[in-house]
Amino acid sequence: MSMVRANGVDLHVQEVAPIGEHRGTVVLVHGMTSDSMASWFLTLVHPLAEAGMRVLLYDLRGHGRSARPATGYRLDDFVDDLEALLAHWAVTEPVYVFGNSFGGTVAFTYAARHPDRVAGIVTIESAPPTATWFARMARRLARAAETLADADVVTHSRPLFARRVRDASALLAETDIGEQLPASALPDPAAFTAITCPVLCLYGADSAVQELAEETARLVPQSRHVVVAGQKHTLLIKAPDQVRAEVLPWLATRVH
Amino acid sequence: MPSDQNAVLADVASMLRSVLGDFGDDAEITMDTTFRDDLGMESIDVVSLAGRLQARYGSSVNFALFVSGLDVESVGELRVGQLVEYIADSLDKVPAGR
Repeated sequence: MSMVRANGVDLHVQEVAPIGEHRGTVVLVHGMTSDSMASWFLTLVHPLAEAGMRVLLYDLRGHGRSARPATGYRLDDFVDDLEALLAHWAVTEPVYVFGNSFGGTVAFTYAARHPDRVAGIVTIESAPPTATWFARMARRLARAAETLADADVVTHSRPLFARRVRDASALLAETDIGEQLPASALPDPAAFTAITCPVLCLYGADSAVQELAEETARLVPQSRHVVVAGQKHTLLIKAPDQVRAEVLPWLATRVH
Repeated sequence: MPSDQNAVLADVASMLRSVLGDFGDDAEITMDTTFRDDLGMESIDVVSLAGRLQARYGSSVNFALFVSGLDVESVGELRVGQLVEYIADSLDKVPAGR
């Protein structure tokens, strides 16, 4: 397992080399609590490598196989991690940043901070760090904590299964993510006008996240929004074919 | 089972034990072992094999291609034998002398 110390935390990373000629670099950022780099790895890594992309992935702090510090879960901590990893990977060209759910929020925030370092953004079921979006995430974190506390009791008698639940519930039980992330200092909305790169936002038609599309379009006017019928917040893992069908042609017009 | 598959299975079993840590000490790992139901592995555990496979076999085994046909649910139903066969096939295809 490849671990990298970045921004003071040991993060689990993977890198997949482009197949054929190098055409660009993409970093894939996953979502909150039960998500990990696996949702990207199983869906888009190989097609992106085939498209000539150097593909970089990591597990967010507290998630997947990355370290789980007790504290340090503000939005800026996650964005600092991405910044430190891109330095570790020695990425010098503008990078494509793809984000699933909260990962998209990290992508928008990083791009607002360093607009010249980002070539393009793709988000799935996500939004920039607005007050509305953070209020929703706070509710989701609270609900997840309750669900996992119940699951812990049921599975404790089976060691290998206990291991699975342990990792997800430990983030909520042993860290202050539930308090810190919702209390993050949010960037001034004007900061998003600095983002001039192309932006593609995908939503599931049956997910409430698409209600945030209007505000995203106002903050990042060049963003293109696509709603996938019959899908919920799990769009990436439930409908990888539709996600690929939107993302790959979008990318192909920009890297060649 | 061909001898090269036996060697690959031994490699993969040792990678799996290290992924599983303390939980993997007593786990029996055969070609029929499933990642999720038998080993309790999550999709991230399977994905975390990528770095170990790359370190062991270099670019001759394209793990991203192997898993790209799977979704987050079917990756759990995967048998160790499927990965072992894929690795053995990939190694067979590496041209001699490389």
